[in-house]
This record gives sequence, structure tokens and C-alpha cells, in this order.
Amino acid sequence: MIEIRNIGLWYRKGQKILDNVSATVGEGSTVVICGPSGSGKSSLLRCINGLETFQEGEILVNGISVQNPNTNIYRLRANIGMVFQHFELYPHMTVTENITLAPMHVLKISKTRARQKAMELLERVGIADQAAKYPGQLSGGQQQRVAIARGLAMEPALMLFDEPTSALDPEMIQEVLEVMVDLARDGMTMVVVTHEMGFAREVADEIIFMDHGRIVEKGNVQTFFNHPENERTQQFLARILR
Amino acid sequence: MLDYNFEWSILWSQTYGPWLLKGIWTTIHLSLLAWVIGSMLGLMVALARLAPYRVVRFAGGAYVQVFRNIPLLVQMFFWYFAVPALLPREMGRWLNHEVPHLGYYCGVVCLGTYTASRVAEVIRSGFLAVPKGVTMAALATGLSPWNTYRHVTIPYALRISMPLLSNEILSCFKNSALTMTIGVMETTGMAGLIDSFTFHGLETTTAASLVYLAITLCVVAAFARVEKKMRIPGLMERSN
Amino acid sequence: MDWAVITDNMGYMLGGLGLTFQMTLIALSGGMFLGCFLAMGRLSSKKWVYYPASAYVHFFRSQPLILVIFWLYFLAPVFVGRPLGAFYSTMIAFVFFEASYFSEIIRGGIQSVPKGQVMAAQATGLGFFTIQRYVVLPQALGNMAPALITRAIVIFQDTSLAYVVGLREFLRRVNLVDTREVRSVELYCFAAVVYFVICTLGSLFADHLERKREASKA
Repeated sequence: MIEIRNIGLWYRKGQKILDNVSATVGEGSTVVICGPSGSGKSSLLRCINGLETFQEGEILVNGISVQNPNTNIYRLRANIGMVFQHFELYPHMTVTENITLAPMHVLKISKTRARQKAMELLERVGIADQAAKYPGQLSGGQQQRVAIARGLAMEPALMLFDEPTSALDPEMIQEVLEVMVDLARDGMTMVVVTHEMGFAREVADEIIFMDHGRIVEKGNVQTFFNHPENERTQQFLARILR
Repeated sequence: MLDYNFEWSILWSQTYGPWLLKGIWTTIHLSLLAWVIGSMLGLMVALARLAPYRVVRFAGGAYVQVFRNIPLLVQMFFWYFAVPALLPREMGRWLNHEVPHLGYYCGVVCLGTYTASRVAEVIRSGFLAVPKGVTMAALATGLSPWNTYRHVTIPYALRISMPLLSNEILSCFKNSALTMTIGVMETTGMAGLIDSFTFHGLETTTAASLVYLAITLCVVAAFARVEKKMRIPGLMERSN
Repeated sequence: MDWAVITDNMGYMLGGLGLTFQMTLIALSGGMFLGCFLAMGRLSSKKWVYYPASAYVHFFRSQPLILVIFWLYFLAPVFVGRPLGAFYSTMIAFVFFEASYFSEIIRGGIQSVPKGQVMAAQATGLGFFTIQRYVVLPQALGNMAPALITRAIVIFQDTSLAYVVGLREFLRRVNLVDTREVRSVELYCFAAVVYFVICTLGSLFADHLERKREASKA
């Protein structure tokens, strides 16, 4: 599904954000990326849907090269849902409008159909009663569930999650994770940047640990948690699982 | 205290009362017209300043710099005295002799272009205040840059700019007083004109200043209503 | 085009800049002085201080400067009891008018200092004036410096309005030359360039200060 080949990304002054990163994400699998802040996790995620421009290597999504000038990046993005750390809902639109904007303008679905679809999705993430409200009136957990519904509204083949729970109050984390677990169980292909190791244990098919722009370790849940090879991974796990 | 023979009744006398009213009406439509031109042009200049092309950005920046760093009065004189002289001879003559109320049109254009430079700065700062992540989220759903702009960035930025834009419309009313220097008989000009007939400038200028106070109060009240209507629950908490 | 008209009258016109700068300086210092008191009034918790100060500020901010100049031209002699002359009445108008703008800048500057700073100073036992002098004002002044300079530039531009009561500052002199020579394009272009250069230098300075302040914060 996603083929990441030797990605290199840097800003000016030669500071490398990503250094020779390669990974594969199979159809229907859930990959969790973790690592200390500044390790390049979020940048890697943004490279996948072309929000970030990398200088080296290649990324293929469903066989389509993200940075090929001939690729219709908008069509590609329409097929990839993304959820952000700070939700990034459109504050001037109602919950429903947030969800229907892209389906109406990118997929050219009729308004009635889009609204119907939005209601189904809100039902699915458990906040159908908030449909007419504005994001500012919702709790963080509710906002993030709206953001997930907004991503799902495009019926993407793939969902990217960029630290979806790190801006939430502790008591709201669970409600968001539950939605994500359901999604993973339904067979959605997911790449999740998170420190929620409980979530990783439950649904991850593979865990990637990054540090200083490189992939330091990757493996399935069993080996990652029980027999981490790299010293940095061990330190990181020791701190986070304390 | 100097002896001064107050004669407030000239304000509502048969001759001068209507003059004053005419002046007030001129202030209102001149300012509103200039405001409409200023806000539309200002939005375009603001977009130019944020454009992805260097040349366009530079042009937008130059526009703002030029109009902000030259006194409005010099701009007034320029439009009124210099522009007709710059045009081909026949056209200039036609403007000077055949066009009634040339000063009015010059005033509107001058005030409009000047207001645009200020509105542009307000709107630009509104755009810069839109969180990058929101724009990114819109792009991530597959919206084209133009649709992202139209449905997300522009409405968001305009709402942030609203309070400051109300300031600019007030400035527009106040600045319209300068058109008196090119012969437009708006409120301030009328106050001066009546003084030259009656030598009761103190009464007329006092009346004029109350007019501006009233206009300000009206605009503030109107904007408070608009803002209340456009207010989005929770938006300002978020942007703070 | 005949640019000789400018070189011929250069000395006379630039001579007006002297008066322009003089007026700017008086308006600036007088406005700031009166503005300080107004700002204190606006920050006061005493209602009989707060409301008059606020009314003053809001009233003058709703007025066009050109009208205030006119108004005081007529009003000032009534109060003083004798004719005052255009220069003095104009300067009074400027000081009264600018004070309302400076008061808001100063008030903003003082409010930009976090309340915690004052509390921390109080906790160490410092008195009101010591706190203002050593803790609040130094921080407030730094925060409002760019706004003060921007306002100074606006005042510099606004001195051209003294034209309406016949003061021979820079723009009035350009205007007089134009009346005689009828070379509007050249003369007003010249005036525009002179103002533009001076104001641009001023705003570059303000930007420089702003950047320095941001850098010191980071």
C-alpha cells in the first residue's frame, strides 16, 4: 500500500529531518511510529500525502509516486485521510460543514448525500448529537472524533494519525482511541504516530521507532516490547512504560 | 474669556440648516463609496502580498508602502491637481471644465486607494493569524489550494480581521474630512463655508464635531451587531 | 515636464520642513505628556477619574484632526480671551488630539506587563512607585516603542493639515509655489518623494526596533 524508499528531507543549513528512511505498509495493516519529539515522525507522515517536500528517495502510495510531477496530488490526498495533533477543524464551520466540505468540492457529491454521509460517520464516532455545533463548543475528545469523521468522509484507503491524543486531557484519550481501534479492526490501513503503547499493543501489526530522523528499530509488537535490540529503544521504552 | 456672541440658531436657520444637512449626507456617501472601493482593492492587495510569486508580492508591498508613507493630503492634491495635468491635454481640459464635482470623484478615488493600503495590512495580518495546521488539514482532505483558500482561509481570516476593519471604516469617515481641501462640501467643509458667511465658526465646527461623534457611535453600534451575528461560538477562545 | 521649478524653489520649500519638524516635536512631546495622565486615568479604578479620561479619549478619537484644528482655531481665543494666532491654536489642537492616541498606546504598554510581575515585586516588599519605576515602566516602554515611532510618523504626515489654517510648513510652501508656477505634477511628486523618504526611514527604524525586541525575547 505504502512504499517508502530511502527518504531524505532537510531544511536549510543542512539539518536533516529525515535520513535514509525506508518502510512498507501493507494493505489493511496498522503501523505505529513512535520516538522522542523532533525525531521526524510527523515529517515522515506529511511526506506521505505530499504536505512536505522531500529531497531524496521516493514514496509510492498504491503504486503512485507522491512527488512525481505527473501525479495529481489532490486526487491522491483525497484517498488519504489525515488526523492532526491539534484537530485543525475549521472553526468557522459547523461540525457537519467541516465534514461535508471536501466531499462536496472534491468528490462533487450532492449536499444532501454529503450530509447523510456525515451523519452516518458522526454516528460511528459516537457524537451524532453534536452535528449542528461549532468546533469551539466541543471538548477536545469530541473535536478529535469530528476530525476523524472528516478524514473518513472521503472514504480513504488509508488514514494517517499525527499524535491524535497528545493534545487531549487524560480523561478524553480513551474515547478517541476506541474509535481508532474500531477502525483498525474494520481493516483500515493506518499509520499512527503515537506514544499510546496500550493502543500499539492492541492493534499494531508493526512498530517503528525513530530517533534523529532515522528508523532505529522496527518489528512486530512481541519483539518490540519484549526484546528491543537498540539501546535507544530500550531507554525510550523504559521511560514511557514506567 | 473673550466676549463671544453665541448664536446657535444659525445651525437650524432656513439658509444654513439645509447646507449642514447636505454636508453630512456628502460625508456619508463619499465615505461609504470610498470604503467599498478600499475594502475590495484592499483584499486584492492583501492577497497579492501573500501570493506565491515574488513579483506580485513585491507589487503588493510597494503599494502599501507608497500609500502609507505619503500624507493623505498630498495624495488628495496629487489626484486633484496633478492627475488631470498628467493626462493628454484634451482629456485634462475636459476633466477640469466639463466634469461637475471633479473634487468629489478625486476624493473618492484618493480615499479609496488610501483606505485600501490600510485594509490590506489588516487583512494580511488576519491571514497570517490563521493557524497553518488548519490550512494543512484542508489540503490533506484533497481540496485544491484555491478551494482551501475560498472555503477555509479567507472566511477564517476575515472573521479575525473584523474588529480591526471596523476601525478602518471609522478612519475612512474621519479622513473624508480632508476632501474639503479640494473643494468638496462635506461636513467639515460646510462648517467652514457657513463660517465664511456668518463668522460663527465656533458653532458650526462644534456641530460638525458632534456629527462625527454620532457617526462613530452609529458605526460602533452597527459593527457590534454584525459581530454578534457573525460570532462563532468558541472561535475567539481558540485563536487566543 | 519641467523639473527646474523644483531646483529653483528648493530652498524655499525645504525651509518649510523646519516648521514641519518643529510641529511634529511639539505634538509628540506634548501629546505624550498629556497622554501619560490620560493613560493613568484610563487604568484607574476610581470611577470619577476613569470615566472623564475615557470620555476624552473616545471623543477625540472619533474626530477628524482637520476639524479639531478648525475647532480650536475658533475655540481657543474664546477661552484665552485674545486672538492666539494660527500656530498656537494648531499646536494646542495637535497636543489635545494626539494625547488621546498616546494614552491608548501607553495604556496598552502598561497592560502588556504581566500582572505576575507586579505581584512578584510586591511580594519582595517594594512600594508602588518603585515598582512602576523599576519593574513596570522599563518593560512597558520596550513593548510600546514601535507603536510610539509609528505614531510619530503619522504625526509627521498629519502636520501637513496645518495647511488649512495657513501655516507655512512644507506642504503649504509647495502649494504656494504651485499657485504661482502651475506645475502641479512636478511639485506634488516632489512633495510625495520628500515625505516618502522621511517616513520610510522612520518606519524602517520602527521595524528594526521591533525585530530587536523579538530577538531579545527569544
